[in-house]
Amino acid sequence: MAADVHNKAVPWETANGSLAPVERLRQDRCDSPTPGLVEGTEPGAGQDSHMFVHAQSFEDLTADGDDTRAEAAGSENTSRLGEPADEGAQGLPSEEEQVEEKESHPGSRAKEEDVTSEAWRRHRKHVFVLSEAGKPIYSRYGTEEALSSTMGVMMALVSFVEAEKNIIRSIHADGYKVVFLRKSPLVLVGVAQTLQSERDLSRELHYIYYQIISLLTLTQLNHIFQHKQNYDLRRLLAGSEHLTDNLLKLLDRDPGLLLSAVTCLPLSSSVRDVISSSLQAAKAKNLVFSILLAGSHLVTLVRKKDQYLHHMDLHLLFNLVGSSSSFREGEGWTPICLPKFNTAGFFHAHISYLEPGTDLCLILVSTDREDFFNLSDCKHRFLERLRRRTAYQALQEALKNPSYSVSQVGIPELRHFLYKSKSSGLYTSPEFPVPYQSEEEQERIMELYQYLHSRIHHPTRPLRFIYCCGESENLLAWVTSGFELYLCFSPLGTKALAVSAINKLLKWIRKEEDRLFILSPQTY
Amino acid sequence: MSGPRVDAKVVMLGKESVGKTSLVERYVHQRFLVGPYQNTIGAAFVAKSVQVRDKVVTLGIWDTAGSERYEAMSRIYYRGAKAAIVCYDLTDSSSFLRAKFWVKELQNCEEHCKIYLCGTKTDLIEADRSARQVDYHDVQDFADEIKAQYFETSSKTGRSVEDLFRKVAADYISTTFEVMSEERGVNLEQKKDPFFYSCCHN
Ligand SMILES: Nc1nc2c(ncn2[C@@H]2O[C@H](COP(=O)(O)OP(=O)(O)O)[C@@H](O)[C@H]2O)c(=O)[nH]1
Ligand SMILES: [Mg+2]
Repeated sequence: MAADVHNKAVPWETANGSLAPVERLRQDRCDSPTPGLVEGTEPGAGQDSHMFVHAQSFEDLTADGDDTRAEAAGSENTSRLGEPADEGAQGLPSEEEQVEEKESHPGSRAKEEDVTSEAWRRHRKHVFVLSEAGKPIYSRYGTEEALSSTMGVMMALVSFVEAEKNIIRSIHADGYKVVFLRKSPLVLVGVAQTLQSERDLSRELHYIYYQIISLLTLTQLNHIFQHKQNYDLRRLLAGSEHLTDNLLKLLDRDPGLLLSAVTCLPLSSSVRDVISSSLQAAKAKNLVFSILLAGSHLVTLVRKKDQYLHHMDLHLLFNLVGSSSSFREGEGWTPICLPKFNTAGFFHAHISYLEPGTDLCLILVSTDREDFFNLSDCKHRFLERLRRRTAYQALQEALKNPSYSVSQVGIPELRHFLYKSKSSGLYTSPEFPVPYQSEEEQERIMELYQYLHSRIHHPTRPLRFIYCCGESENLLAWVTSGFELYLCFSPLGTKALAVSAINKLLKWIRKEEDRLFILSPQTY
Repeated sequence: MSGPRVDAKVVMLGKESVGKTSLVERYVHQRFLVGPYQNTIGAAFVAKSVQVRDKVVTLGIWDTAGSERYEAMSRIYYRGAKAAIVCYDLTDSSSFLRAKFWVKELQNCEEHCKIYLCGTKTDLIEADRSARQVDYHDVQDFADEIKAQYFETSSKTGRSVEDLFRKVAADYISTTFEVMSEERGVNLEQKKDPFFYSCCHN
């Protein structure tokens, strides 16, 4: 695995204007009232070390793909919402631009969705996982049995193209994108009607792939299929379908998975430091990561020196904890592979809520499967230490408001935003305001953000700045080597207003960065 | 003080969805959770203290997932267990076959572990007798053969759940007590009873 070390020799950017602290050194970053644009000086950048494997973007997630990313071409774009992010089909001549859907056998289980129905077809995003023998492994909607012929056709397509020494990447037809991800011994297929690019869809398929690896390890997966090509993997994945279902939901809704970043519980840095050092003190020989979560917010993370967690592995842990209430009682102890760390072996995670009825969940990751009682002991030591401090009350207080309102920023037209500090891999975002409180509205706004993300990270024509006007809102995205920023404004605002808001927002984030980010991560 | 001191390790075994988690939930929290099935991930541990007559024991209960995925690793959950509650669903005959598998596994790897067979969801067969798929006498015969205790429980109504764990605790106390008195060798009452004495030596 490539160790993506923080690249200090980043090209100095001179984007529009006053914000760029020319010649500013990283050290005076914190004293600077003006946010830096450059990696390491942006608001939220860690002080001396990083918590995560440094992830630039998609390339890092896939690691093995050859990187043909055109470095930020510096282009700017103003457009209407909904323009396709990538034009033209890739991979297949036009006569094959159809997704075949075989009629499936009648008599599939009544409780399950009818895969021949219009409702089934209308789902925004389907995901299928199959083995190279064409055997169904997972389907987001409808049973795998009912879809086995569809999956057979998918595999036939993949093989047909491969016979000519080509690789099928995607099919674009009729408002649909069909994206293929070949990760031997698995094949993943996404069928989407969203505004996302092929590349972002492929990124999501990677998540699903790694979710499966996290349960089995790649070594075991390879072993199984080497011995029995048409093995029915669902036997081994039994009971984990809801993890994949939930992960797909997160991909639709959670900005963290879109941004490849994690968000923190807003907390004063002195309180966070006490919590971190209590956690740091509760160490054990084989402990590699100690992670304290509040819902989907990170409270703190302590890691073994020189061991980095990848945000994707952290998201998989979030998903594991978030999609199961079975950890609510007692203490969980489960093998888990963190695929971005190592696809070959299992870690063992001790998962427990700090106290009954709280949202604070502690994950202790060890290399030793016999470590349960040691880690259980760590947890108790941590909790006892913490209970004696006033910081614990402050933490309980903070849990009542795990997010903040956008009105705190003081920009009336601004409805919502996402801000990611690239060097720390952390992002911040206010709660969704009134017009976006329903699930549908949240998914809609997330889809717009995904669209901007797709445009910004376009493989051949990346953008640095984009401003879009829609019917219900105006959106702006701006990316520098230090951060990624997505803003959502009321539709009445103007572009000039939006641009002037950036500066104000960045200053606000700089002012609040102690609370919103983890600036000094700890190691054991 | 660190985590709870545990006297006896108890492991729940059996096919997925036979009701192991519900059994523990009923016993520890006196409740039955309805809602969509939530399979256990890996295993969950919970400790509970029980008083049997004048003695208190803390049972450390391991609720396992029962999935094939971690079968190779399941030994870590039952190693050193004093008792195994092997569950099957009275309305699902395949779950009884799976229970037999676990019994064999325990006999091979963990010979000192006492086995308790537990048929779950009796409320379902009380509501509809034809729902029963595992014959009472078949299990009774099997239990005799492997020298196991046999219970039929319902986590929904609470039937026999307390009895089951109480029996586990009581058996643990009595075997520990036997071993201890044997070691000390000064228990006068026991010495008077030649049958009991010899029995302890086998
Ligand atoms: N009617 C009834 N349902 C039960 C009983 N015990 C468990 N269940 C249901 O069976 C399913 C599986 O239970 P669970 O305890 O999670 O099984 P586990 O996988 O063995 O831990 C759940 O939907 C429970 O509600 C019971 O005693 N009666
Ligand atoms: Mg369970």
